Amino acid sequence: MPWRVLLARLRGRIAGRGDEARLDEEIASHLDLLAAEFERRGMTPEDARLKARREFGGVAQIREAHRDERRLPFFDTLVQDLSYAFRQLRRSPGFAAAAILTLALGLGANTAIYRVVDAVMLRSLPVADPEKLVLVQLLANDKPYRFSYPLFREMAARQQVLDGMFATSQLPLRQAVLRGRGPQRPVNGAIVTGEYFHVLGIAARPGRVFTGEDDRASAPPVAVISYDFWTREFDRSLDALGQTIQLNHVVASIIGVAPPGFHGEVMGDEPDVWLPMSVQPQVMPSDWLNAPSSSWLAVMGRLRSGIPPRQAQAALDALYRQLADLNVRTTGVAYRVRLEPGSRGLAELAERFGGPLWVLMAIVGMVLLMACCNLANLLLGRATARTHEIGVRLAVGASRGRLVRHLLTESFVLSALGALVGLALATWGSRELVALASQNGDRWHLSLDTGWRVLGFTAALTALATCLFGLAPALAATRVDLHSALQSNRRSGATGRSRSLFATGAIVAQLALSLLLVSGASVLVRSLWNLRNQDFGFDADRVLMVDLPLEFNKTVMARARALRQPLYERLNRLPGVRSAAVSGFGPVAGLQHTGSYNSPQYSAQERDYGRIVNVSPRYFETMGTPIVTGRPIAEDDRAGSPKVAVLSETAANTLFRGENAIGRFIGGGRNFDIQVVGVARDVRFSGPRDPYHFVVYLPLAQDPAPVTGAVVRTVGDPAQLAAAVRNLVREIDPNVRIGRTVSLAAAMDSYLANEKLLALVSSWFGVLALILTCVGVYGVISYAVERRTQEIGIRLALGATRGRVVGSLLGEVAVLVTAGCVIGGAGAMVLARAMTKLLFGIAPHDFTVLLPAAACVMAVALLAAAVPARRAARLDPIEALRQE
Amino acid sequence: MLMDNRTAPRSEVPYGTLDLMVLKTLDSMGRLHGYGIARRIEQAAAGPLALNQGTIYPALLRLEQRRWIASDWGTSENNRRARFYSITASGRKQLAAETRSWTRTVEMMARLLQENS
Repeated sequence: MPWRVLLARLRGRIAGRGDEARLDEEIASHLDLLAAEFERRGMTPEDARLKARREFGGVAQIREAHRDERRLPFFDTLVQDLSYAFRQLRRSPGFAAAAILTLALGLGANTAIYRVVDAVMLRSLPVADPEKLVLVQLLANDKPYRFSYPLFREMAARQQVLDGMFATSQLPLRQAVLRGRGPQRPVNGAIVTGEYFHVLGIAARPGRVFTGEDDRASAPPVAVISYDFWTREFDRSLDALGQTIQLNHVVASIIGVAPPGFHGEVMGDEPDVWLPMSVQPQVMPSDWLNAPSSSWLAVMGRLRSGIPPRQAQAALDALYRQLADLNVRTTGVAYRVRLEPGSRGLAELAERFGGPLWVLMAIVGMVLLMACCNLANLLLGRATARTHEIGVRLAVGASRGRLVRHLLTESFVLSALGALVGLALATWGSRELVALASQNGDRWHLSLDTGWRVLGFTAALTALATCLFGLAPALAATRVDLHSALQSNRRSGATGRSRSLFATGAIVAQLALSLLLVSGASVLVRSLWNLRNQDFGFDADRVLMVDLPLEFNKTVMARARALRQPLYERLNRLPGVRSAAVSGFGPVAGLQHTGSYNSPQYSAQERDYGRIVNVSPRYFETMGTPIVTGRPIAEDDRAGSPKVAVLSETAANTLFRGENAIGRFIGGGRNFDIQVVGVARDVRFSGPRDPYHFVVYLPLAQDPAPVTGAVVRTVGDPAQLAAAVRNLVREIDPNVRIGRTVSLAAAMDSYLANEKLLALVSSWFGVLALILTCVGVYGVISYAVERRTQEIGIRLALGATRGRVVGSLLGEVAVLVTAGCVIGGAGAMVLARAMTKLLFGIAPHDFTVLLPAAACVMAVALLAAAVPARRAARLDPIEALRQE
Repeated sequence: MLMDNRTAPRSEVPYGTLDLMVLKTLDSMGRLHGYGIARRIEQAAAGPLALNQGTIYPALLRLEQRRWIASDWGTSENNRRARFYSITASGRKQLAAETRSWTRTVEMMARLLQENS
């Protein structure tokens, strides 16, 4: 049927019964005209009327023919099937509720995860023509590398293939302090080059965006604020324009507000204020605008129309090579420029959470598959109960295809209702998921809306699920032997074989999937446990750490230096403190100081990635980092006394090739004036997954770095001392900014947001899998017992003990479980191998995880089977035999 | 069934040609109601045609669903409300196409029949 006709008929259907009335009126007027014509020819009115009727033909037939032209055969049967399906489901509300709930969980979980995947990985930036944006990525040995400002400036000025290029950095002003508007509070700033808003195609409302003029060194500092910040701080008042705001120590006047929904080019980030690149020297310790050796910028551009990306990449790469004098080059490293699609901006979140999200997607996919197996079995059971009905309908002439369609409609009603409930669950679930992932201050700013893509995904998944769980039972149910079906024996054995084969397949699949899910969950939980309970190189128990975030500003840095002695002394006198120390750029604190220290026989390489930590006395004692040989940094290591250092084991081994380091000398350049007095245990410097590093500990008194934090080993719960420690810092210097104050254990844990999320969600679905397995096995065995009542009765009558009956039934289950576990176990190994990157301290085929998981699935399955098996054993043989 | 007019045998309307006849009629005569169309077809056949006049109504609906003709209410000669039909632009295109294919078929049949005789 052409779509036009279909539409016309559909419109007619929706418009109601107008067509019929119209036809009647037309027929009446036609007959009148025809009769009048005959009268004119001299007939009597009665004869004319009769003749007109004859000429016209049978009115009833015409009506019928007319109706045929309006018919929508598909639509009509659909309406019929739907109303029948609803009636059927209302007749068994328990089954309907169970099926809808199962599907709602399966579809809802998938939609929830997909919604997050969509927001994190698939959505485009809300800018003009996002697909034309490209990320200009500099690669050093194929690893992402950043641009320096002079290099960016030259490339932007000379390139011919992009309609504008911009550079950005969050580095200097992320977690900046907003001053001068009430109490100090954190604010997120980004610095961008003048072309930023123009290239993105973002206009300010109200106000204006940056121009090239605003980005000159001589220009007065200006700022564009986000819509949310405008709302929060200025209540969307137009007076905001022209006012000044102070971020750290930069004072800028507001010139415009970015449109709502625009959160910059980094997915999941949410800058409050954008400042032009020209403010950089004011927010960092050194001027990087004229430093070709400082690589810190991300660069994006808009592809000029008509230029293919490949050509643009070649042109930019060639340009990069021409600007050799502006390039930082380390010998032995290959540099090149690559263009990457930029429609989604800088996908930091996608890089960090992409892996875990796909794992979650796989998990929920398996849950849905299990739900489908479960439902297929349930539906098969129902279809068996309806053998008689189906037989009757086939006997009176219904085609098999029609019946399959009818049964599928019932399945579709179930999954559509399930999908609706699932969508509601997903809205809640995805929000919870994001909340869970952004615990510990690592905030995700995601707008999770249920757009067309998400709805389309859910709809497609619903259709797929319907086919999965509905098709096989519908086909099996309609393959009946009419003769036996009509004999009204609902346990007709004619089709029993293919059915039980299908049921067996479904239950084995379900067991395999549930083993996959349970073992996947236990692998993830085990990995989290390994991460938490490894040797960090320090004793995180009962240590409080205070971050004192540093601003790159001379007065602030001087103030941070001045904190050292008073803070150290007063913390150590605080009641409830075992020992305390202050440090600059210590582990687990975020800010790091990297640099190279050499020994006479070894010059540090870039790959050593040496970290420099400045510590007060009692530092190692407070952290609980064991000194392997030598001594820790002590009170006597003052300014003026001989320079000393403590090395990490890795540093000592690297610098002295495994020889004893104590008493030997190291130095920052070729002047070896620092004596090694001790070697400390290696530490996990920035998080539980961090490899052991080259660390040099220097006394704060000899190398006066700013104090960026303090650690306190407490007698009791470290959290109880937090307020006292904060007050003490404020007493010493009320202007010092106090960052996070948490226990060291919690700080370490905050690195594990991903792992905790995965462990939690996968455990949750593992339990759900076990519940589904339980229901599935119970259903199948109950059905088997029911079907074999007679057989069991005979066996009991012939003297089989009840134990034997139970045993033989459980034996059958054991075969199924074994088959499921073998398949699932193989799958679990493949899965673990795919997740290797996410795991810690577990080999892909670790049987110590797999075997308990298998045992658990087996136990649950046997337990679920035991209930109907016991019922079978309690059958009264006489009753059982009397049954047909 | 007894025929009214036994002097000349009524010829059947070949299947599928009614639509074409209706389109042609509306194309040459302009806006017409159902009765007018039926009359015109009978006249053009220049003799009795085994057309139950009522059968043009399903045909009209079919053509309207395909947007080849359009309809609206008007007043008939005897001052009754009647539905008037007229051909649309896409209807004219369809008519031209069908005319071509019909002519081809007729020519082909004519040739074939001549050869065989």
